[in-house]
Parts: sequence; structure tokens; C-alpha cells
Amino acid sequence: MFDHEKLARDVTRYLDGLMDPGEVRDFERLIDENPGLKAELVAQKQMKEVADGMSLTKLPDQIWDGYWKGVYRRIERGSGWFFLSAGLIILLAFGAYHLFADFLLNPMEPIIVRLGVAIAILGTIILLVSIGRERYFARCHDRYEREVER
Amino acid sequence: MDTLVMELTEAKVVTPLVDQDAELLAACARGRTRAFHQLVEKYKRRAYYIALGLVGSSEDAWDLSQEAFVRIWKGRKSFDPSRPFWPWFYAILANLCKNCLRDRDVRVRHADGIRRMEEGRQDDVGNPEAVLLETETQQEVWAAIEQLPFKFREIIVLRHFQDMAYEDIARQLGIPEGSVMSRLFYARKKLREFLEHPETRGTCDV
Repeated sequence: MFDHEKLARDVTRYLDGLMDPGEVRDFERLIDENPGLKAELVAQKQMKEVADGMSLTKLPDQIWDGYWKGVYRRIERGSGWFFLSAGLIILLAFGAYHLFADFLLNPMEPIIVRLGVAIAILGTIILLVSIGRERYFARCHDRYEREVER
Repeated sequence: MDTLVMELTEAKVVTPLVDQDAELLAACARGRTRAFHQLVEKYKRRAYYIALGLVGSSEDAWDLSQEAFVRIWKGRKSFDPSRPFWPWFYAILANLCKNCLRDRDVRVRHADGIRRMEEGRQDDVGNPEAVLLETETQQEVWAAIEQLPFKFREIIVLRHFQDMAYEDIARQLGIPEGSVMSRLFYARKKLREFLEHPETRGTCDV
């Protein structure tokens, strides 16, 4: 019985000339005794040669000059979004505090209006939590979305 | 000519200078953008060409390799200087490429339906943007490579397009050297299967 994993490794090592002379002798004997294996070796050699003969299209040098600027712009915009979000959160917190203190708890305002606003706010919070939770679980359970960290 | 040789050499750097990278990353962690700039300059070509091999589109490769650097910058404080930079970077880049391929696949499915997707795949084959395709065989091979599952495509790109040694690929992917060799064997086997029976293409997951 063949150990297929070992055989796969040996074919690759043989084609890349990574075997020592003794191993080459043993492997070639094995090949001669097994026509199926010999056919696989020939096919692997062909694939190797074709793939070796291919190369990626190279970009012209002047294009590379703009690479760093692109990376820098992304970082800059990321920082911009961060500060914008932080500022909006502070403003929203301030607004929420005043809404609560000056409006919802204000006995001068009609109770029906205060109740309506409170229910609308509750509905918005439930919707946001639901969307946030859905996105969080989708991210956690999707193997492709997981961030690589060390 | 010298420039081209230099570019090719830079694109195929095999062993990164670990100590220098650790110093640069330590400086990045202190917020030094100049050190980060040096790091980007050092690895940009390699990052781009690997992404190009993986996603097959120049525009996406440019975008994804830049995004990988941005993520490095964001995560610079969590970097362990005793470990090499490149495998960390590569893991992020490969993940981004995988996401890109999956999203592309999902977009095609959503937009056109399964039948149109099959036609689209036929139209996309042999994309001349990514690879120098001089012969018909090379066009067919590239079309087949584009349909390989990600782990096989990855190994073909690293070994054949980046000319990396098995030891370096193993370190980069975090798998034993023997597994790199056997994975390459199965990748070539699958490639041949796709070339001999094109109708079986598109049956693998990204």
C-alpha cells in the first residue's frame, strides 16, 4: 500500500531535485514498477514546466511612486472618520442628556408628547441593537470575515 | 534593463530581514510614519504581485495590498517584535484576497444567477491583465489557475510566480514543509484535471 501523502511529497521533491542520489534511485525503481505512478509523474512534470513558464505582468516603475500616497491617504481618512465619529458621539450624548433632563422629565411638557418621544427613542434603540447584533454574529460566524491577529 | 532586474528581484525577495523589520515596526508602534513608509516601500511590490496572482485583477491587487498595509498600521501595537513581520502581513493579505474572491463570487451569483455566472466565468478566463500570456496553453493554464480553490492557487502563486523556497512558504503559511510539497502536488493535479476536463471548473469553493 502506498502512503499517498509521502508519495505526493516525493514526487515534488524528485521534480525539484531535492532528493539525494540514494533516494532518487529508490524512487526511480518505484516509478518503473508502477505505470500509473509514472504517468502521474509525467503529468506533474508537464504542469510544473507550464507554470514555471508563466510570469505576472510587471507594472511600470512610475506607477509605484504613487503607492505610498495611496496607503497614507487611507490612513488619513481612517483617522478622519474616527475623529468625526468621536465628535458625533459626544454631541449625541450631550443632546440625549438634555433631551432627558429638559424634556422627558419636564412636567411642563404634555405627557402624551413625552411618552411619544420616549417610545420612538426606545424603538430606535431596539432597531440599532438588533442590526448591530446581527452584524456582530455574521462577522463572528463567517470564517472569511475573521480578522487575522497575532 | 537594470531597473527591470531590480524590480523583479524586489518582487521575489525570499528571506526578509527580520531584525530590520522589527526595528521599523517598533518605530511604527511609536507612531513614526517615516518608519512605516520604509516598511511599505520594502514590501509593496511583493505584496502587490502576490495579491495579483491570487485575485487576478491589477486594480483589486493594488487596492488589497494597500488595505493590508493600512491594517498593519492599525494593528502595529499588537505586533510581537520577536516574530517575523512577513507571515503576519501575508496572513492579513491572504485573508483580504480570500474575502475579495468570495465577494466577487457572491456578486456574480446575485447579479446574474447561477447560469449567467457560468457564462461569466467563461468570459473571464485567460484574463490578460494579470499574467503575460504568450501562448494558448498559458491562457488555458491561467484560466484553470483562477478556478482553483484558494489554498491551491496560493501555493501555485508562491512557488511558481514568486519563486519561493519550500522552507519560506512553510514559514509564511504556518504549515510543515512536507505539507507544502504535498499541497503543491495536489494543486498541480487539480490544475491538470481542470485543463483536461474544463467542465469540472467552478465546482470548487473559493
